[in-house]
Amino acid sequence: MKALLAFMKKEWMEAIRSGKLVFLIILFTLFGIMNPAIAKLTPWLMKQMSSQLAESGMIITSVKVDALTSWTQFFKNLPIGLIVFAIMFSGSFTKEYQSGTMQLLITKGLARFKILFSKLSIMVLLWSLCYWICYFVTFFYNSYYWDNSVANQLVNAAVTWWLFGLWIMCLIVLFSTVSNSSGAVMAGTFGIVVVSYIMEMFPGIKEYVPTFLMKSSNIVIGMSDAGQYTNSIIIVCGMMVICFLASILLINKKKI
Amino acid sequence: MTTIEQVKEFLPLIIPLIIAEIVLLLFTLRHILTHKKYKRGTRALWIVITIIGMEFIGPILYFLLGKEDE
Repeated sequence: MKALLAFMKKEWMEAIRSGKLVFLIILFTLFGIMNPAIAKLTPWLMKQMSSQLAESGMIITSVKVDALTSWTQFFKNLPIGLIVFAIMFSGSFTKEYQSGTMQLLITKGLARFKILFSKLSIMVLLWSLCYWICYFVTFFYNSYYWDNSVANQLVNAAVTWWLFGLWIMCLIVLFSTVSNSSGAVMAGTFGIVVVSYIMEMFPGIKEYVPTFLMKSSNIVIGMSDAGQYTNSIIIVCGMMVICFLASILLINKKKI
Repeated sequence: MTTIEQVKEFLPLIIPLIIAEIVLLLFTLRHILTHKKYKRGTRALWIVITIIGMEFIGPILYFLLGKEDE
């Protein structure tokens, strides 16, 4: 337990010293402010473009903007944040393999699963921190300018998307135990997401695939109910547990 | 609505946005200037990229592609 806590502290210090923590927090705050800002600017932009559009036959009468516009923006911008996050942490294990620091820790007697667990927990912690900062900044502005009560089952939708992020973290850890290069980790994670995306096109299994969680913005605008996501949430949670157990088995067998 | 009123309505959004962008820019520039080695590119290149794409694209590119893993 002592070793685990010490290693977690080391990971945390690394996130601070390398500037990752501050960078991610500022970035997600920025995203949080941009969502309502874009929504607020939409009518003005439309006005600017209306004369151009009128020439091509499109007439804009009035654009109504409310909290839903801003929440739609929130769910649209999240993938960008998640990609930045994933690329940033794809090297978390691989750089330690390459520089040999992992070997050092293991020969000193630190159990491998402790290394894995502490790296994963720091990733989960940072993702949750950034995600909810972004959420609350958007929430604050939306209640300031409009009214959040028009958003349907908002917390459910937000938690659903947050779970999708956790799933990505687990995949990154799994591929980090298999591969030695951060490029391969990224490619593997991306590959799984693409496979899940393709599977979503088949109507029968649509509601069972993990990427279905990314559509949780539909809950907010009232196009679907949070209950519809139960199946894929269960599948994603199951996959996270399997990924975690598999990566412990793999890292114990890995030649470092 | 007059222009001044419109600007006033936007202020609570614009001011934090500008502050966050400036903080991000300064933080990235400090990181570039206090490090000698980069994964790829040179110091001059990264300073130019960060300043040109200063809203957030420049800093993102630096932290993903340029920052050396210590």
